[in-house]
Order: sequence, then structure tokens, then C-alpha cells
Amino acid sequence: MSAHHKTDDTAALSVSNLSVNYDRVPILWDIALEVPQGKLVGIVGPNGAGKSTLIKAVLGLVKPESGDIKFLGSSLKDIPKHVAYVPQRESVDWDFPITVRDLVLMGRYGHLGLFRRPRQADIAAAKRTMEIMGIEGLQDRQISQLSGGQQQRAFLARALLQEADIYFMDEPFTGIDLATEAVIMDLLKRLIAQNKTVFVVHHDLNTVEAYFDWLILLNLRLVASGPLKSTFNAENLYATYGKSYALFGEALKLSQIKTVGLNE
Amino acid sequence: MNESFEMQQTMLQFFTDPILRGPTVGCMLMCLSAALVGVIVFLRRQSLLGESLSHAAYPGVVIGIAVAGAMGFDESSEWWVSLLVMSGAFISALLGLWCISFLEKRLKVKSDAALCFVLSTFFGIGLTLASRVQFTHTLLFRQAQSYLFGQAATMNDMHIWIYGGLSAVLIGAIALLYKELQVITFDAAYAKSLNIPVKAVHTAIFILIVLALVIGIRSVGVVLMSAMLIAPAAAARQFSNRLYIIFPLAGLFGLLSGFFGNYLSVKVPEMLEEPGSVEHMFLPTGPMIVMVATSICVLSLLFAPQRGVFVRALRIASFRFKTISDNVIKSIWRQSNGKNITFQDIARYQTVSKVYLKIVLANLTYNGWLRRNATGGYELTHEGSAWGAKIVRLHRLWEVYLVDYLGACAERVHHSAEEIEHVLTPEIENELVKLLNDPKRDPHHKPIPRREDDL
Repeated sequence: MSAHHKTDDTAALSVSNLSVNYDRVPILWDIALEVPQGKLVGIVGPNGAGKSTLIKAVLGLVKPESGDIKFLGSSLKDIPKHVAYVPQRESVDWDFPITVRDLVLMGRYGHLGLFRRPRQADIAAAKRTMEIMGIEGLQDRQISQLSGGQQQRAFLARALLQEADIYFMDEPFTGIDLATEAVIMDLLKRLIAQNKTVFVVHHDLNTVEAYFDWLILLNLRLVASGPLKSTFNAENLYATYGKSYALFGEALKLSQIKTVGLNE
Repeated sequence: MNESFEMQQTMLQFFTDPILRGPTVGCMLMCLSAALVGVIVFLRRQSLLGESLSHAAYPGVVIGIAVAGAMGFDESSEWWVSLLVMSGAFISALLGLWCISFLEKRLKVKSDAALCFVLSTFFGIGLTLASRVQFTHTLLFRQAQSYLFGQAATMNDMHIWIYGGLSAVLIGAIALLYKELQVITFDAAYAKSLNIPVKAVHTAIFILIVLALVIGIRSVGVVLMSAMLIAPAAAARQFSNRLYIIFPLAGLFGLLSGFFGNYLSVKVPEMLEEPGSVEHMFLPTGPMIVMVATSICVLSLLFAPQRGVFVRALRIASFRFKTISDNVIKSIWRQSNGKNITFQDIARYQTVSKVYLKIVLANLTYNGWLRRNATGGYELTHEGSAWGAKIVRLHRLWEVYLVDYLGACAERVHHSAEEIEHVLTPEIENELVKLLNDPKRDPHHKPIPRREDDL
């Protein structure tokens, strides 16, 4: 709770010295950034740049080599309920035997704690978030019977139910219909208006300017992090997507392989 | 009437008779535990894990027997032997589990390879130890053997209490942790982001799995045990899309398998035996239980109302029949400008067999879409004609959509439209009309038929 009462200029997220390796190959290299509250943040970079890994690492789902991560000035384990995660849609088994309502209710599990079942009030709250996302009519369907856009809406209804202050969404705009895209954008704008902070992993450069007000450009290392106006420029984009950085990654990988005594 | 009463009597006997009730109730409890844990294993797609761990329990069984022998217990002190054997099996299976995770995490061995390695290595060690025990503790060795395929027939009231207690622990744990089990099985990373103690619950899950296996190998044996985990869960999954129904349903299938395995292993030899014969037929209970469970599973896979293979095949056949009907009506509609259409005219454009086509035509005629004229040719009724116009309309609308909106080339859209015309719903048709501004001609400049209600 303490984080809530801190002054508003505390950074929503501050990361320093964050490095993540997988199988001794670096995925993220010495990331340091600070994002103020109330921003709609796009995390942008080419495939394999470590965008998903960045949000998994700050959420503690991937173990970093090093790094210090603070949410609203506190570490995640002190304020777990202030942070919500929306995984990639493809990362789960949609044939799993639960209904849309069961899926959305998972958003309350963290608040309930071990052993306790969702109460009537939780079910009412779930219904409300489903209404916000326009899927209230689907609540008794098995989750495999949803379209891609509806699945994404269910994921977001679940995240809304967590009533967090900071949201991390992994590619919510991938594989959805136009109507869902509009519903999601509307939701994100409403969250920002309530001074919440939303991080969105995004790969469509065409929509970056329209959607976000803060940008994190990533390619194994941080290229830029800052307000859209000062970061979304040709120079940064070349640095993120250009050839020179492929070489950087290659060299880093080689040096790691050599230091553990393997041949290429 | 009388016969069914007798049947009930004999079935009831399995719960009251002091010799029969040990194996029957014991096996039912064991199958219940296995089925409940099996749901978790099945949904986590770790079916091979049960197989590996039950085999990994075997060296522990043999060591337990050897220790019992060394401590001077023989077959008469069953309580102590059982306790030592079960502890041995429990520890050995946990060791197997640890080896699997060591191989996967530290040595980066692929999951299936690690599982098979542990399965064969541990089972091999168990068999080697068993052949040694054969000479040191001859009497107890027979018990070690019985754990291979199980020996339910020698179970007694003591086992009811042991397995009853263990099953209660299992059911209690699943009921308490239901919400956590659900979210972790669905998406462990998300569960972790909710601050749910994923590691602790995983540990609990593994202990439950090992417990269920240890309970089960006494009656079904290490070799067949994994079937008891998976079969009831796979069967229950066929009937429901709700986890809170799948758990009790799998449990019910487990109980039924346990009961009928015992019932049949006693009754089938009785029925087959010649009256007055001296030789006694013998059907082992464990394999019988597994056969009942797998029969339930196979029947469910075939005949379950939504997901069953049989029902799905029926649905496919009925869709095919509808598609062929569509095509027949469409081809008559297109050919019928005053021409007399014979069977040959229709068959020319269809790839199905003549017999199938005759059946389709008879059905369409019977239902009032077609009629035969005086010369034996076919013609559409008013309703049939509307059907034909609708199919052609959907076909051409779809072609316009592909060309105008998806930038497809006009020569190549026919094939897609041939497929899509059979599945377009009135809702999609309305959307198409709105989107395309109610077009009058298709990309090949053929007219798009008006809707019936426009006329």
C-alpha cells in the first residue's frame, strides 16, 4: 500500500543494470531505463530483440543475470498486486477445460490468496470487466470457442480484474480484428487517464505514433527510452533495426561461447 | 426381475464379504486417487511422467522387501512389510523424479529422453536387485514379484484403511488447492505473476502423483500403473469442457474400473468354468482393472457426444451430404434454361459415385426441392430454385470480396468460393452485402442473383 501514497513523480518502473542470458547466450544486455507514471509505453524492436524477455525479466518470470528493478519505488515482492501481466495469446493451451468466466476470474486469484475460492463479489467484478471488454455474452463458453480477438479481450478482462497500477501486455494487437483493436485502444486510453502505466510489446511500426506516448527501442541492448517525440526518429530506428546491430549481437554471442570454452 | 435382484445381491457381496471387500474397496480407493491425480498429469500433457515414476518406484519396492527380510519380518507381519515397501517405493520414485529434473535442467537432456532414461534405468536396477533378493529372502521375493503386475486378491481390511487415508489426503489437497492447480496447469508463468507460490504447488503436485502411484502399484503393479492415471482422465475429458466436472467424472470412472475389475476377475472364471471341474481358472485383478479403465476410455474416445470420433465422423458425413446437395441444386439451377435435365447432365459435374448421387437426388426429391418430369428428367421446384440462386449468390459475393478487398486475382478466386459457399451464414452474407455495397455482378461479369426477399 505504501507505494500508493508516494508522490506522483515516482517512476512507474525503474530498471538498472539488467542483463538476461539464456543458455549463456545474452538476450538482454545491461538495460537501464526509467518510465514515469501515466504513460502508454510501446516496447519496440525486431524479432528476437528481447522484447518479451524484458517484460518477463522485470516481472520476475525469467531469472536475470543481474539487475535492479523497482515498481513505484518498491520491489515487486512488496507490491505484487500493483502489477498485472497479459501473456502472449499463443503461449497458452486454449483447449484447456475452463470457461471464459473461469479464465477471467483468475485475475482475482492473487488477491484471494491460497486456498480461498472466488466470492460472489469477485464474480460480479469479473462480469463487469467482461462487459467493459464486450464479451459478457460469452462467459459460459469454453475458451477454445472464442475467436482470436475474443481471446485477447478475455485476457484483458482478466488483467483488469487485477485492478493493478502497472500493466505489461505481450503483443495484445497481434492476430485480432479491427473492432477488438479499437476496444483495446479505448481501454488503454482509459487506464492512462487514471494515471496507470501500460507497457505494450508491439511490432507494427506503422501504428507506433498513433498509439504510444513513450517508447522503448530494444535490440539486445537498449537503443532509446523516452517520450515518443524525442525517440521515434530515423536514427534510433536504424540503430534498432539496422545491420550494424546484428554484428554487435553476433560478437557478443561469440565472446560468450569462447569464455565458456566451447567451439562455435 | 429376479435375476437383476440376484445380480444386485452378488454385487453388494463385493462390499460385505470379508474376503472380497479388501481387494474391491482397496482397489476402488486406489483407482479414485489415481484418476484424480491423473487429471492434473493429463492436462499438463505429462502422461509419460506417470509411466516413468511408477517404474522408478520398483527398486524401492525391492529394497523395502530386502530391509524387511533383514529385520526378520516374514510374510506374516504384513503391516510392517507393507509400510517398508511403500516407503521404499515413495523414496525411490522421488529419486527418479529428481533424476529427471536434473537431466532436464542441468544436463539439458530433452524431456522425453530423460523420462525414458529414468524409466529403464530404475526398472533395470529394480529387476537386478529382485533377482538377488530371490536367493536371500525367497519367501518375500514372491511379494516383490507381485508388485510388477499387482496382486489385489490378497488385499485385506488393513489396505482399506491405508488407501482410504491416503485417498482422503489426496482429495483434500486437490479440493484445497483447486484454484491454484487450475491456474498453474493452464499457465504457470501467469500464475507466478499473480504471486502464487508456483514452486510449492508444483512440489505438492509431484508428491500427490508419487503418492497415487505408491498406492496403486500394490494392486495394479508398476508396469500397468500409468494407465490408471491417464485412462479415466482422458475419458472424462471427452465428456466435459469444465475442469470442476472432469475431476469428479474421472474419479467416478476410476471407482467403476476398480469395482468391475474385481467383479469380472471373480465372475468371468466362474461363468467359464465347467461345473465340477477341478482346475480353477484365474484372472488377475490388476490387469482386469486396467482393461476396464481402458475400455471406458476407448468407448469415450469413440462415442462421447461432442468430441467422440464416431459423432464427429457423423457430423462430417452430414456436412458432405449437404455440400453435395448444394452442388447438385446449383448445377441444375445453372443448366435449367428450358432444357430437360437428365441424370447424366447432373452426374457430369459431380465427382461422387453414382449410387451416392442417386441417394442425394432421391432425398432432394422426397423433401420437395426437386421433381421428376414426365420424361424422367429433373427440375427444380420453386423452393429448390431459390436454394440454387442462394448458393450461386454466395459464391459470387465471395468472389467479389476476394478480388475487391483481398486483392486476389479474378482467375483464381473460383476455387475458394467453391468451398466457402457451403459455410457462409446469413450474418456473414449481410456483412458482405454491406461491405461490398450490394454488388450486381461478380468479377467474371456474371450477374449475382437477388435475394429471395428482394423479388
